[in-house]
Amino acid sequence: MSATRGPASGALRRSGDPLRRVLPLLEVRPGKVAAAIALGTLALVCAIGLAAAAAWLVARASQMPPVLTLSVAVVSVRAFGIGRGVLRYCERLASHDVALRGMAALRANVYEALARSSAPLTVRRGDLLARLGADVDDVGDVVVRALVPAGVALVVGLASVVLIGAFLPAAGATLAACLLLAGVAAPWLAARAAATVEVQGAAARGEVTALTLELLEDAAPLRVAGRFDDRLAALARADDRLTSVADAGARTTGLSALIGALAQGLAVVAAIALGVPAVLEGRLTPEELTVVVLTPLAVFEATAGLPAAAVQLHRSRAAAGRLLSLLGAGGSDVIGSSSHDRQLELPIMRRTTDHARPDDGEPDHGAPLLQLTDVTAGWGDRVVVAGISLTLGPGSVVALAGPSGVGKTTLLATAAGLIPPVSGTVASPSALLVAEDGHVFDTTVLENLRVARGEVTPDEAREALLAVGLGGWLDALPDGLGTVLGSDAAAISGGERRRLLVARALLAPARVLLVDEPAEHLDAATADALVRTLAEHARSTGRAVLVATHRLTPLADVDEVLVLGPGEPATVRARGTHEELLHDEAYAWSAAQEGASSRTE
Amino acid sequence: MKPFDPRLAQSPAARAYLVLTVVLGTLSATLVVGQALLVARILTPVVSGTGTSGPVVAWPFGALLLVVGARAGVAWAQDRYALRAAARTVAELRAAVVKAWATRSPRSDVSREADVATLATRGLDALEPYLVRYLPQLVLTAILTPALVVVVWTLDWVSALVVVVTLPLVPLFMVLVGRLTAGTSERRLATVQRLGAQVLDLVAGLPTLRAFGRALGPGARVRELGEASRHATMGTLRVAFLSSMVLELLTTLSVAIVAVGVGLRLVEGAMPLEPAIAVLMLAPEVYLPLRRVGAEFHASTDGLAAADQAFRAVGARLVAARPSEGAVRAAGGTILLDDVSVRAGGRAVLAPACLSARIPLGDGTPGTGRVVALRGPSGAGKSTTVLALLGLLRPHSGRIRLAPRDATGPVDLADVDLGSWWAQLTWVPQRPTLPPGTVHDVVLAGRADGSPRGTGTAGGPAGSGVGPDLEAAARRTGLDTVVADLPLGWDTVVGLGGVGLSVGQRQRVALTAALLDDAAARPLVILDEPTAHLDARGEQAVLDTVSTWRDEGRTVLVVAHRASLLALADQVVDVSSAPAPAMTTPSAGGEA
Repeated sequence: MSATRGPASGALRRSGDPLRRVLPLLEVRPGKVAAAIALGTLALVCAIGLAAAAAWLVARASQMPPVLTLSVAVVSVRAFGIGRGVLRYCERLASHDVALRGMAALRANVYEALARSSAPLTVRRGDLLARLGADVDDVGDVVVRALVPAGVALVVGLASVVLIGAFLPAAGATLAACLLLAGVAAPWLAARAAATVEVQGAAARGEVTALTLELLEDAAPLRVAGRFDDRLAALARADDRLTSVADAGARTTGLSALIGALAQGLAVVAAIALGVPAVLEGRLTPEELTVVVLTPLAVFEATAGLPAAAVQLHRSRAAAGRLLSLLGAGGSDVIGSSSHDRQLELPIMRRTTDHARPDDGEPDHGAPLLQLTDVTAGWGDRVVVAGISLTLGPGSVVALAGPSGVGKTTLLATAAGLIPPVSGTVASPSALLVAEDGHVFDTTVLENLRVARGEVTPDEAREALLAVGLGGWLDALPDGLGTVLGSDAAAISGGERRRLLVARALLAPARVLLVDEPAEHLDAATADALVRTLAEHARSTGRAVLVATHRLTPLADVDEVLVLGPGEPATVRARGTHEELLHDEAYAWSAAQEGASSRTE
Repeated sequence: MKPFDPRLAQSPAARAYLVLTVVLGTLSATLVVGQALLVARILTPVVSGTGTSGPVVAWPFGALLLVVGARAGVAWAQDRYALRAAARTVAELRAAVVKAWATRSPRSDVSREADVATLATRGLDALEPYLVRYLPQLVLTAILTPALVVVVWTLDWVSALVVVVTLPLVPLFMVLVGRLTAGTSERRLATVQRLGAQVLDLVAGLPTLRAFGRALGPGARVRELGEASRHATMGTLRVAFLSSMVLELLTTLSVAIVAVGVGLRLVEGAMPLEPAIAVLMLAPEVYLPLRRVGAEFHASTDGLAAADQAFRAVGARLVAARPSEGAVRAAGGTILLDDVSVRAGGRAVLAPACLSARIPLGDGTPGTGRVVALRGPSGAGKSTTVLALLGLLRPHSGRIRLAPRDATGPVDLADVDLGSWWAQLTWVPQRPTLPPGTVHDVVLAGRADGSPRGTGTAGGPAGSGVGPDLEAAARRTGLDTVVADLPLGWDTVVGLGGVGLSVGQRQRVALTAALLDDAAARPLVILDEPTAHLDARGEQAVLDTVSTWRDEGRTVLVVAHRASLLALADQVVDVSSAPAPAMTTPSAGGEA
């Protein structure tokens, strides 16, 4: 079920530039940026100073003065030659330091905002990683690749215009015009080209990706059906469209390059056209003429990187926009007030209904732990299940049955308060959704279980693992509870992972467990035993369990089964105990099939 | 790593682009020299105060204008065509990779399929910065730098000597610095990656932490890890930037040395002014391409790595030019499996192991059809057997032969023209893919190449009429209820860019299409039974469809997972796996 609803259109509308809104979260210290710009400026000043001093030196030397009069120029040329490399090194370190600080702060701030937000987190894991990984990096890159280069270009441009203008005001003015051309017009065109290619190419790019994946994944069926060459031709056509979009963008990019090169050349030509008559008229010394003509050659190094900077700015802005939409309505109030004043508001999943949290001490027998009243659930405009009413008291175990995709997960997420019901009411003061794709952290088994509750003791942990049938697995681990599970639990099998997630849920303080497909990746016997374990656990601890499953065999142990029926929205097709439902023809047939298939396998 | 992969020249787009870049590079070298000489020609008389009348300055000034215009033109052409060439090269490589991968054995290596998918969709994009930014600078380094050295030599050999001595120092020092710091930076890079992985682990677990109400604590940890990561990264950068500092230092210092040398010789009257100005302008240009190559170094490594991966993926294909004996008429014939074993990829298991069977094929006349079920626990090699029967995978031992009905002897499947074999069968995999189009067209698509059976639907635009055959077939497979739920019914566009259908719905479309094609032309249907959770209705539809095929006189080979299908079978073939003997040399190691 793809449920990536963009919840944040409102947040985006509130103010124009997403980059400007995200920037405070980078916690950038202006002093550090200024230092980086200053260092970069000095490095470029060395390059320009080298060109200017060398030009002056050659012109003056040609008049054959005493060698001593040249010594200042000689020394400064050499000093500029050394200074440039060293200063540029310092600038790169300084700007990267600022950027890395920004990325670290932004990542932590976004993480905290998401952790604190009450809005449901409806993005897929891959998207979440992309937002906090690549997108945060892209926003941080704005410092190194756009902010500092632009600042350096501005300062250096102004300084050289003043220098040249001091010798010959008209030449200063033309240099300023040419710098504007190369530093504003060319980058603007480059950024526009990048934006156009991105927007127009998105469809073609998506098509290319989809076709490529289809050809790779379904190569054999396509070849056997004789459709492979057809699809390959379709890929070639999609790629042609992508190329023509790139080509259209290249027209603008080419123009940008042309303007940049032309501006530099024109600056030299204009300096000659203005400078030569000035010398002939005696307004300018010959040494000054060489400086006025040769310096611009070095100055344009400052603007050379600006088209790339403008493209980066565009990319960072897009990344910032995606981050904002991830933060959504819940995150938007965090922006601007990065204070931690809401730290005490602990229940992260704020319920969509205001129901008081029961006292953790005495379980109040009789009072329902979870109550759904005529609930219709769905994602956004899509209604998936309708007309669900059910009540779970302490110790009750209810199952949702029905084929995959019928809406069991949606209903569980609604019961957990992760998504608001489309209609009806949900009262679930303390419900925990044990999702199919729960995360196993890159840490020890014990710490993974302590995610449920910080004070879980090793004995409790062992007991929980034993209950879900992981006793043997635990004994086989090299360091027992202290064994580090690899990144996203590559070291454990799918079935072990499922059971570990259930064990973790058993340790959680929640009064209601909503368990999604505990049987996935498990063989029939283990799967059925796991459901029984959950049922026994609920009865012995006075908790309530709502379990979604497509296997019917273990449901003999639950109090009530709700069979969700076909269509969209799905409704309760039948409900009752397993025994009662066996009189239902379709239910009995499905249950019998499970027996048959476990025999053939 | 070499800066240029010669295999790239195999791509026509990349080759054309390379030629263009060389031409533009040569042009660029000429223009740089021209600009320096012209500026020197104009400035010299003015600075030295001799012969400053208008006409003397006029022609070099006009020429300078032309040079400036031409340089802008070269810059335009480079950017104008580089992006297009890059897009074309990426497209060419993508097609080659996809084709090479698709035509190799489907069961070879699952883990690498993900790599190839990443390469073909995103990885190849790394070639763009390489081709657009790095390659031109590389070409300039090869053309412009030596050309300028020669020009400087003719102007002032002493300056040229300085350049010639310092130029090799640049790569030398960069390599030295790189060697000295390689160990440190690798260690630190590992730290950075580890810290990054820890942060991403916390991020990936955020939904889980939120579910448990424990997401706030790790926020501080994310901040700490970010700080630690910054420290480690800065450590790496301090070292990594050293090499570029050496580059900058050497190049600018060399320019300074040339300038001071020229200045001092001018004072002594040892050289004239005009070449001095030209040398002064040319000296930075000598080093410029080299500096840019250094700056784009990362673009080069990523791009070259992507290209290398692509060429290895293409080259890894075993070009199995099959000596085929041509078409074999399958209808009424028999498939003979003798002791067929396939070694499971990467595991010491034969699945299937020593499978022998005789599968008679129907000929399209009622009564000749039969249902053959492949039975066995999962992992026994049922699907692998299907792939081997399709000729997509060659058994490592044993053989699969086709015996036609006529007197000619059985032919090894390895010698049969696969195109003609595939044209005589229908394969309905577990997850069928659909060509794009309306449901109506997709279902009837199979009939374009098969011989049409007379129905009322002939011709007409999509959805203009749904013939009785189609209607009956749709009822049998349960496609009618799927179509009824679609917004435009039979005219709904499905497949890429259309309405997304679930696996079960796609299966029904595929079953319907297979019901409609000609039984005599395609006497074999291979069905990988859907393991997806079918309801009673879905199950019955599959059973009905299989029965209909049999009644039409086709042989239906099913990979059976359920009791109901096994009950329907006329013949059951048991598939089992066995540990592979240690030192088996595959007798027919080639792959289709």
